[in-house]
Amino acid sequence: MTVRTYLLPRSRPEALGLLDEHGPELLVMAGGTVAMPLINEGISLPEAVMGLRLAGLGGLERAGDELRIGATATLTQLLDQDAVPMLREAARNTASWSIRNMGTVGGNLFTPPPGGDVAVALLALDARVTLASTRGERVLPLADFLTGFMSTELAADELLVEISVPIPGEPTAYLKLGRKHASTPSVVTVAARLEWRGGRVTDARIALGAVGPHPIRAREAEQLLVGTRLDADAIAAAAVAAAQGCEPFTDGIATDWYRRRMAGLFVGRALEQLTPGAAGEGR
Amino acid sequence: MSADLNVVGQSVERSDGIGHVTGRTRFFGDRSFPGMLHLKMVRSPLDHARIIGIDLTDAERVSGFVRALTASDVPHNLYTILGLIGVEPEEEFVLAEDRVRFKGEAIVAIIAESEAAALEAVSKVHLDLEELPAVFDVEEALRPGAPIVTSWGNNTFMYEGHPCRRVRLGDVEAAFERADHIVEGVYNTSPIEQAPVETTGCIAVPEANGRYTVYTNTQALYFSLDNTAIILQVPGNRLHFVGGTVGGGFGGKVDVIVEPIATLAAMKTNRPVRFAYSRSEEMQVSSTRSAWRIYIKDGISRDGHIIARKVTSYADSGAYSRQTPYALTKHAANAAGPYAIPNVSIDAYCVYTNRQPTSAMRGFGVTMASFALEVQMDKIAERVGVDPWTIRFINAYRNGDMKPHRKLAEDATLIETMQAAAALVGHVLPDDLRAMTSAPRDAGPDGGRD
Amino acid sequence: MASRIVTFDLGGREVEVMVRPMTTLQSVLRNQLGFTATKDGCRQGGCGSCTVLVNGQPMLSCLLPVEDVAGQRVTTLESITPAEGLHPIQQAFLDAHASQCGYCTPGMVMVSKALLDHDPAPTDDAIRHALTGNICRCTGYRPIVTAVHSAAEAVHDAADAMRGSAGERAR
Repeated sequence: MTVRTYLLPRSRPEALGLLDEHGPELLVMAGGTVAMPLINEGISLPEAVMGLRLAGLGGLERAGDELRIGATATLTQLLDQDAVPMLREAARNTASWSIRNMGTVGGNLFTPPPGGDVAVALLALDARVTLASTRGERVLPLADFLTGFMSTELAADELLVEISVPIPGEPTAYLKLGRKHASTPSVVTVAARLEWRGGRVTDARIALGAVGPHPIRAREAEQLLVGTRLDADAIAAAAVAAAQGCEPFTDGIATDWYRRRMAGLFVGRALEQLTPGAAGEGR
Repeated sequence: MSADLNVVGQSVERSDGIGHVTGRTRFFGDRSFPGMLHLKMVRSPLDHARIIGIDLTDAERVSGFVRALTASDVPHNLYTILGLIGVEPEEEFVLAEDRVRFKGEAIVAIIAESEAAALEAVSKVHLDLEELPAVFDVEEALRPGAPIVTSWGNNTFMYEGHPCRRVRLGDVEAAFERADHIVEGVYNTSPIEQAPVETTGCIAVPEANGRYTVYTNTQALYFSLDNTAIILQVPGNRLHFVGGTVGGGFGGKVDVIVEPIATLAAMKTNRPVRFAYSRSEEMQVSSTRSAWRIYIKDGISRDGHIIARKVTSYADSGAYSRQTPYALTKHAANAAGPYAIPNVSIDAYCVYTNRQPTSAMRGFGVTMASFALEVQMDKIAERVGVDPWTIRFINAYRNGDMKPHRKLAEDATLIETMQAAAALVGHVLPDDLRAMTSAPRDAGPDGGRD
Repeated sequence: MASRIVTFDLGGREVEVMVRPMTTLQSVLRNQLGFTATKDGCRQGGCGSCTVLVNGQPMLSCLLPVEDVAGQRVTTLESITPAEGLHPIQQAFLDAHASQCGYCTPGMVMVSKALLDHDPAPTDDAIRHALTGNICRCTGYRPIVTAVHSAAEAVHDAADAMRGSAGERAR
């Protein structure tokens, strides 16, 4: 509410230049669905803000084997694409229509838990993020980008400009448990993707939301699945490992105890959907 | 249906319907006035603390700051929440004096030219607080050595010298001795925020004739007016309250919290002043429904008649009582349920803790009793081995039955209501239940007690 | 903190406002222009009472700096209320008693408008999904869903009638 300067760059170079010029005190805002509530309440009192809505970073296109998502592509754009069904499912389960029209895919990577449901899907999909500054560009795996509660690898002069997602060849599963059916913070969110050869799992990705300081991989559960035929025992073992390995917290939505139990249950359910011959979900 | 009824049985267009669907209904916040100032509160960040000092120096330097109000600016610095109907003591300060008793308690009112300036100034008020031990559970609050929230030495509201509201009928202990079954239960409920979509607020406007017009969304217009007059020590005829258009209340807007301080601010500045809760304040500061803990012990005869019921209830009033003592009285009157029980003992405690104060919400002490009692009735049915309908029919009030608080049941309809409900859900009742009526027991077809 | 002039289309007419940096569209509509049908329930994007349409898409005006909609088309409840009578959605809300306190109603009507513009015959699920961000604490959701269904029928019937009369003229 005390904002003295609101910058609205019209291009990526202009945005990077302004970021360089104003330094780390500049609050960068995309859809405003996270920053604006804090500013409206007087909890966040930034002097200068840069809005990215008009900066031309909102493209979304399929390029060969990957989906390239501009950082300010909206969640509605994600819902409308059909190249990656898991991302459509993630968008459908995030917030409400109006919020999806405003909230961005890039912004979702900075949304603290229990938010960030799209980031959970992106993590399971081995997404990469492109960070740009006036110094140049670098590309990181999303798994390395997320470093802690509301902290990332982003340098003070860098801007997240694009997220690229390899289009998965196999079915994927995405489940979110909330306290309501829709427009609700997550108790736990699970995104899972498996690769197969000869009836056995050769690689696994399980990402979890709302049970850690940021969307996390259930790496031990992933390893337990490799080499199995995804039978009931393998699913149960992975579910237990995921529940044990996560770092749930208590908030107004759920207790840490409940989140941990639900993390195990929902990892199990997600994997059951991926069992060969299971009735399809999210494919 | 009588032919001369014009409204019953007809679909009638609401008088405010067109206003609602066109957005032309004028809620208080849809008004604005030239020169209108904005009030925001500095609130306690701690659950329980002594106020050592308040430093306004930096806040006063904020561009747009107009003035601050502290406890010494308020003529009668106590809310008269229930004093007007004889329920006392008054214990909640308009602005905190030496102590804060819950996180969010109002300490300093900041008046500024804009909401932005008011928020910025609020962020620059420096509080020197000494944290005190706090208590958050009703039974912990009643234990010896618990932190004391009130100024009178214990943590209960006192009802005519007693720490609880009591109801007694017959002799429960003797009846427990001869009962065939004893069924006990403990029932806990959470605090619930009414969460109206329109937050609580008002605008106080000084008029040329020396009066103040207050546009408010209170659910209790004259109650709020009387309170404001007492707190400001002005005759009621200097205040003109305009209300009636409420964007959801559900009991949450029965508090009388915003009007007195906004009107005081208008008096001190001679300008219109708007004070509206933010969503966070609505959720974290305004009254909620109390959290309750209810213990029930019932003695039941072999055939399912409840012959004794003992209820001990604790409502978590939070740091101040607001309307909760009254909710407890209503609760105690209803805590035996709509059932004819010859021996009843009820102790209902209004307990102070360092939580958000609580007040009215849809049912006001009775809803929570009903929740506990009806779960208890199902437990009794299970223990006795009869179905849940039967246990309620055979124990239901009938006309002429004496209620525990010594009122004769005069208009009992529970039996008929349950018969209608069974029909609506397609449940076929046995003949004996279908034949029952609420007619007095000695006059009824089955004479006396079944 | 220089103020800035922002121009946008509000219900078919161009409006020009002078704002401090990052003033929300909600604040501009309510406090500067007196368009108070757009409500103010939370300023956190949580209640839906401030929903407006930007280029036909529902958005929350409490989260939207007005500078972001410069040159864009903004539609509020005032903009869809005809000079005489009511919009079919408003009429359906009135007939179905789909408002109690009335505070959520403008947001509900605006989302319903966007929905019916996108999907003239929405299913129950589609209506519920569209309205999921709009909270009615009086909990009158069922009549609201009923109203959107009957509004869809009314819009459809009106379109049929127009087509019918156009057809007659063509003959």
